[in-house]
Amino acid sequence: MLPFRLPMTTPARVAPDARPAAAQRPPGFRELFMRLDGVRLVIRGLQDLRTRGRLLQYLVGTDLKRTHADTVIGQLWWLIDPFFSMAIYSILVTVVFQRSIPDAPLFLFAAILPWQWFSTSLLDATTSVTARGNLIRQIQFPKLVLPAASTLAGTITFGFGLLSLAVLYLVYPGRLSPWLLTLPAIAAVQYVFTLALAILFSGLNAFYRDVQNLLRHVTRVWFYMSPAIYAVSALKGSIFGYVLGLNPFTYILTSYRNVAYYGTSPDWIGLGVVLTVSLVLLGFSIWVFKRIETGFAKIL
Amino acid sequence: MPATGYAIDVRDLGVRYNLHLTRRTTIKGSLAEWVGRRQRDDRFFWALRHVDFRIAHGESLGVLGPNGAGKSTLLLALAGILAPDEGSIRVSGRVSSLLTLGAGFEMEVSGRENIALIGAFMGIRHRVMRELTPSIIEFADIGPFIDAPVRTYSSGMRARLGFSIATAIAPDILLLDEVLGTGDEDFRARSQQRIRDLVGRARAIVLVTHDLNSVSEYCNRAILMELGQVLYEGEPQATVEFYKDRVRKRKARLAEEEAAREAAGLPPPVRLDEVASS
Repeated sequence: MLPFRLPMTTPARVAPDARPAAAQRPPGFRELFMRLDGVRLVIRGLQDLRTRGRLLQYLVGTDLKRTHADTVIGQLWWLIDPFFSMAIYSILVTVVFQRSIPDAPLFLFAAILPWQWFSTSLLDATTSVTARGNLIRQIQFPKLVLPAASTLAGTITFGFGLLSLAVLYLVYPGRLSPWLLTLPAIAAVQYVFTLALAILFSGLNAFYRDVQNLLRHVTRVWFYMSPAIYAVSALKGSIFGYVLGLNPFTYILTSYRNVAYYGTSPDWIGLGVVLTVSLVLLGFSIWVFKRIETGFAKIL
Repeated sequence: MPATGYAIDVRDLGVRYNLHLTRRTTIKGSLAEWVGRRQRDDRFFWALRHVDFRIAHGESLGVLGPNGAGKSTLLLALAGILAPDEGSIRVSGRVSSLLTLGAGFEMEVSGRENIALIGAFMGIRHRVMRELTPSIIEFADIGPFIDAPVRTYSSGMRARLGFSIATAIAPDILLLDEVLGTGDEDFRARSQQRIRDLVGRARAIVLVTHDLNSVSEYCNRAILMELGQVLYEGEPQATVEFYKDRVRKRKARLAEEEAAREAAGLPPPVRLDEVASS
């Protein structure tokens, strides 16, 4: 027996096939699912992100709270984490590999910090859809906000990492240069590239959990294939050098290092090419994601 | 609002599950599938097929059927969570299923922040949500815990908070699953009062239930579903009669089969409940 009473009203007599004319339809009468394709699907995806700013903001907030919940010094880890990895790689390169790089900590930090932004954002975003399976089966919302929020949270962590980079300049004040002001432009290019991959992989990972496992290994190999703990010039002329030429992070990391370590201009042409490719990839990723998004609730 | 307008218009709705893309698929398995026998129809299970009905404003529709008939899938599709693979669903106004009871909370942040987060997920405007928050907190009745991380909540507190958020805004179209009893005696009474309130304000209601009496008592139309299809649609009393008749006939058929088996000297089929109890 139901604990409540439903209203008993006699329905207006409706002939089985009489559809209300468009003009008569009550406001808000709508298809629950619109079938869009091509460019319109991509535009819809961008609208999803634009109209759900508040949701993105809350998601980023919870993401950041979750990463360092229950730690004694809490958010201070955002500053300490990059220092530790920089220290480890400095020891690795100078003591173990016996490379003599002047101001090695800054040389490494300038490239490792953005790389870690990329790899943690990408790995976090890849599981962002699967981690919210419960919610996806209960509330209808644009799933595109999930990978977007993960990459944004990663960006904030990166911002804190830049603070520790600033601290490093207290040790190497001679390396400061006005070119550092172009760093946001380099970061913007990297962000578009990261977002494009994050959206693609988070969608695919809902169907194939192999993606998240595979990606862990791919990013590790990718790290060593990128000029993060060495300079591009070290590999000039070798076959490996040609492989580097196809890697977007060659241009991105070189640009960071130029502005933060050498005090020269970023590789504008390289960045321009990476940005163009990334924007095309972003469109493709959003298209794929929006195509498979409707299936998430069935398989999660 | 014209009285002739439908609240819900479902045409030839079909929802299918791909049996080979279930929870733990691997690329390897999928590739083998794809190479081996592509696009065979047996890859799909149609949870709903050729479902076709309309609900006018002011109506309440009862949905009857045995387990696995597709009732829950129908609710999910009406709520916009599952996309149709065939046909279309059109609705007028905000649809809300009271499915959102508790799961989906973010464990590490406080109840208050979860209210804001889930409100944003549901697409409720920030200003509206901010106005509703005090009453949501009051209704959930979890005291000072509202500012503690949700992982410290008891399951009852989680359920109360989930219910309180899910019912904070009265929907135009209310989807009800009968499993709604949560919490202690006091909260159950208050939640029933709130559902009554939502029911009174909704323009149309879909009620999924196993309770045949409540259908004939509360709904003005009912459908019987079986294996993803609508078998019968009509007055509640007639639908219930049809359903009862069907169950009776099935029982009779099973008894007949058993008799035939006995007559042929075959052993009786092993029943699962017997195995479990022995």
